[in-house]
Amino acid sequence: MNSKLMNFYKSHKPYSQFLLFGIILSLLPLLVNLGLVKYSLLTTVASILIYSIVALGLNLLLGYSGLISLGTAGFMGMGTYLTAFITADLGLPFELALIISVAVPMLIGVLTGLVSLRIEGYYLAIATLAISEILRKVFVEFDFVTNGFSGKQAQYPKLLGFLQLDRNGTYILIVFFLILVMVMMHNLVNSHTGRALSTMRGSEAAASAMGINIYRHRLLSFAIAVSFSALGGVLYMHFVKYTYPNAWILMLSLNILAVIVIGGVRSISGTILGAFIVFGVPDLILKRLPIIGSIDGAAYIFNGLLIILVILFYPNGLINMRFDIQRNFRKLFKRGEDLNG
Amino acid sequence: MDKMDNKVLKVENLSIAFGGLKAVDNLSFDIDEGEIFGLIGPNGAGKTTVFNCITQFYKPDEGDIYFRTNTGEVENLVGKKTHEIIGKGLVRTFQNIELIRELTVVENIMVGAHVEFKASLFNQFFRLKKTRQEESRIRKRAEEILDHMGLLSIKDMLVAGQPYGVLKKIELARALMLDPKLIILDEPAAGLNDSETLSLVNIIKEIKMERNCSILLIEHDMKFVNGLCDRICAINFGKLLAIGTPEEIQGNEQVQIAYLGKEDD
Repeated sequence: MNSKLMNFYKSHKPYSQFLLFGIILSLLPLLVNLGLVKYSLLTTVASILIYSIVALGLNLLLGYSGLISLGTAGFMGMGTYLTAFITADLGLPFELALIISVAVPMLIGVLTGLVSLRIEGYYLAIATLAISEILRKVFVEFDFVTNGFSGKQAQYPKLLGFLQLDRNGTYILIVFFLILVMVMMHNLVNSHTGRALSTMRGSEAAASAMGINIYRHRLLSFAIAVSFSALGGVLYMHFVKYTYPNAWILMLSLNILAVIVIGGVRSISGTILGAFIVFGVPDLILKRLPIIGSIDGAAYIFNGLLIILVILFYPNGLINMRFDIQRNFRKLFKRGEDLNG
Repeated sequence: MDKMDNKVLKVENLSIAFGGLKAVDNLSFDIDEGEIFGLIGPNGAGKTTVFNCITQFYKPDEGDIYFRTNTGEVENLVGKKTHEIIGKGLVRTFQNIELIRELTVVENIMVGAHVEFKASLFNQFFRLKKTRQEESRIRKRAEEILDHMGLLSIKDMLVAGQPYGVLKKIELARALMLDPKLIILDEPAAGLNDSETLSLVNIIKEIKMERNCSILLIEHDMKFVNGLCDRICAINFGKLLAIGTPEEIQGNEQVQIAYLGKEDD
């Protein structure tokens, strides 16, 4: 029985790994209820998972298509406000809010892309930076919908009109969406569109010669990245239950970029690792240390140093450390065998 | 457009200028079906520019490029989008190898059949039946081509770090994925040693025989061109010098001057 399970696990990699990861994450509320871990840990982990979804989208854009967006925070924020407006103000169902709150930012993203992706270079980065700042201004100024600086509230989601989720339930929903996004990412990058994106990033000449419509594929990957950001925003809104303009500043977009650089470009597991480091370590470890914990902005210093170190030693992200660890382990075992024999 | 019988490509009065420099000047030639056609000329003669005009990487200032497509119709390629060209049955390789380092050998070759994939984005996201079928069908074809070139053993290795001769073969393999009518090779033998060049000559001859396609190639190595091509077109400063069989070209005085310079009396 056990070996059967093991065979299933091995033959269905990486889906089985994703599933196992999801199951392990889903155990967290249980641990909280048993009193084994702190109540606040669930909030930290949930936000890490939400940022992982957003960062996966950006990794598709940066790692596979070679484009940079600085508007991640703006599109995420737009997702939060839209879903809050639709569920709380209009009283419409969560599912409808989810669809609209992902579709509208995606549409705006496509419009931005239509203009800025025609030209080669970093115009997307500049255009998205501008859009993000415009959006933040909208969150402040359109106070009849957004409540301005006081922010906007929403409730835990009610699924299918009758299944009211609580905090733990919403957390499980976040885990579900993360695993779904991981599976979708994995499938996409290993299909013809994923190869086309990689080709476009590696050589535009080869891409055109092989019949890849570069403009269309740039737009496509940007649209996917924006919709993952907006999805992250929707989940954030219904877990944190509160959004305000200053949560969606450039700093957040840069942090998401740091997730990819630190964790691993072109790597799903690297993105998750990066999210745990960038959004987890400051909250879970740094703040608890003596002296360092009391410094304001210690997290920024930590992230900055880490980016420098990672670029120096693991230019493709910390996830590649596992190869070195494996190699050293093997060496260690070999030496042990030599000594024994 | 008259007289396209037995012709796969007909270049007529092609001209393109960069600023004041006429890189290609009123050039005309045509390629028969099943022919290996060489384009030669000294450095800077405009050979690669001609290729870039045919494949629509550059938009020529003047002239027409008629091509007999997969469906047998004759179309003018001028004004078509770069990414539309491969679908007509015309595919190229590059002087400086353009392969994707992050992809494996077989994945690089599968990119060559990109236009054949029809599965929707949704279908790919969830790896549904159509995606799986297409993937396995095209992967199999890629592996057959690799096997033919003796590269099957490295199919799952990354392209980064492969030797130069192997990279050239991989690029050629990628060009074969869609069974093109015309393959354009930009200096296929550049940087290869003698035995690699010999193996490439055999591969190109095999491709022509088995796939029943035409090949247009640029090359510096005269031995390579003479041994392989049915006809050769020599150009210099973007202008036509001569078209003919390898023997005719070797005997042509103007070609000799262009290559070796004129002897002072």
